[in-house]
Amino acid sequence: MASQIAPIAADDRERFQALAEEHLDSLFRAALRLTRNRTRAEDLLQETFLRAWRSFHTFKPGTNARAWLYKILMNAYIDGYRKATREPDIVDQEDVDEFYLYTKVQESDDFRRAGDPEEVLLSRLMDADVKGALDSLPDVFREVVILADIEGFSYKEIAELLGIPIGTVMSRLHRGRRQLQVKLWEYAKRAHYVRAAKPPAESGGR
Amino acid sequence: MTELDCEQILQLVWQFLDGEIDETRYLEIEAHVAACADCGPRYQFQRRLLALVEMKCREGPIPTELKRKLFRLLEE
Repeated sequence: MASQIAPIAADDRERFQALAEEHLDSLFRAALRLTRNRTRAEDLLQETFLRAWRSFHTFKPGTNARAWLYKILMNAYIDGYRKATREPDIVDQEDVDEFYLYTKVQESDDFRRAGDPEEVLLSRLMDADVKGALDSLPDVFREVVILADIEGFSYKEIAELLGIPIGTVMSRLHRGRRQLQVKLWEYAKRAHYVRAAKPPAESGGR
Repeated sequence: MTELDCEQILQLVWQFLDGEIDETRYLEIEAHVAACADCGPRYQFQRRLLALVEMKCREGPIPTELKRKLFRLLEE
């Protein structure tokens, strides 16, 4: 028990620590994906942590702590890290639909020869490919994909986190996922050719 | 409520996978993709693609040193 002078503050600090402790791993992951850089992620997390502590008195116990913390994270991110707030003017390529990657792999003789082309494609994609593809998306698409596909928020929650309508969340998410597939296809093709060109004895070691 | 055709089912696949669809439609889509030779593989691929993105973007826990640094800020 802390001193008699500031029992509330000490109690608050313990409660805040317990609450933060529970969410720091996922906040750190989100910060890494949002900033695409370890140093900036640490800075963003620290900024989020301090803002949350300063406004902890506004947090209502029993309400959604994760949503509260992510709202602070996204605000700090938007204030300090995100550049473009408008959707890019690029026109979606006409031949890119929701099933781009599936269609590409089905059409590819190289992948079809492998027997189970979808399995071959998905197993070829490495962590760095998926992260690289995600990193390449324009900010406004990237952030909704991160919040939906990695952090698991609902459309409504994302709308509240970003202060945009649900319809906008859905259209950005769909466009983001389409562009992600275009990028993943580039990586998959590259990995496929690289691997096909290598002699099979490679695994024997030195 | 009229039954959805393949094109409509495929348009709703993301919403279905995101759990953003009402229960009646959910059951209809679930039954359709289980039985349809056209929609089924497309649905399965999208499902695995989403799972892949989630899995490949996993990170370990926050570094202990960073966590300590954050908690020290509370004592200032």
